[in-house]
Amino acid sequence: MNLETNIQNSYQIRQSTFCKYVLVTPNKEIQLTFPQMLELRRKINGLTTINTLNKIINNENFVLLFVADKQHLIFLEIPQLLKLKEEIALFFLDFKPVLV
Amino acid sequence: MNTTAIRKQMSIHPDVMDLLNNQIGMEMKASASYLAMASWCDQRELLNSKAFFYKQAEEEREHAMKIFTFINDNGGAAISPNVTNVNNDFESLRGIYETGLEQEIAVTESIFKIFKSARKEGDLITEVFLQWFISEQSEEEDTFRSIIDVFDLMEGMPLKMIDERLPKE
Ligand SMILES: [Fe+2]
Ligand SMILES: [Fe+2]
Repeated sequence: MNLETNIQNSYQIRQSTFCKYVLVTPNKEIQLTFPQMLELRRKINGLTTINTLNKIINNENFVLLFVADKQHLIFLEIPQLLKLKEEIALFFLDFKPVLV
Repeated sequence: MNTTAIRKQMSIHPDVMDLLNNQIGMEMKASASYLAMASWCDQRELLNSKAFFYKQAEEEREHAMKIFTFINDNGGAAISPNVTNVNNDFESLRGIYETGLEQEIAVTESIFKIFKSARKEGDLITEVFLQWFISEQSEEEDTFRSIIDVFDLMEGMPLKMIDERLPKE
């Protein structure tokens, strides 16, 4: 897989308004609320443990995943899955506990 | 601009939240485990011990709920846990209390781990929240240790006589 298709097929997260987010997929843009983001984070983290990744690789080599309260179904191959995990980690990185 | 909107979506750290969610599972597992112990004692008419473990089972559920509502109140996502592999097979009353103490020690260590993680991440809200749990754990461990002391003192006595000397809660 070359880098260009990798970027084209990857999933990205954008903030649209203050508390609305967008999951950009190769064929659509999915609006997400914060709780839906948290649920996506939980699912992706669950799918990217060493054990689960191994299972996926040894079986279909992709995952289908419901997002946004089961309104959308997304298709992820391993590189996309890992890229999305990174995206999400980045999204949650800006934790600022002390509100000034 | 609306100043109240400046508040972040989530006021606890996401990694700390994951650990807190694991802790919910651990408390619920402890609750289920104490329930099994209560049943063992109940079936053998060990009245004080049965009351003790029914109470423990309830308390552990309360601990789980405390963490559960804490996560959601702070903008996170609390997860209802799977509770599996609950042991219902015991060999002695003393053994039950020893298992109880081991379980409490494991919970204490787990709480310490979350506390340290909260401190590392600068998550002051969780740090303060966990202080109650830390004192609670030291009391719980102390209760179990004193009960095991009673077994040591009364070694060889009939089980029901030992049970009568044990606390109901
Ligand atoms: Fe507890
Ligand atoms: Fe406890």
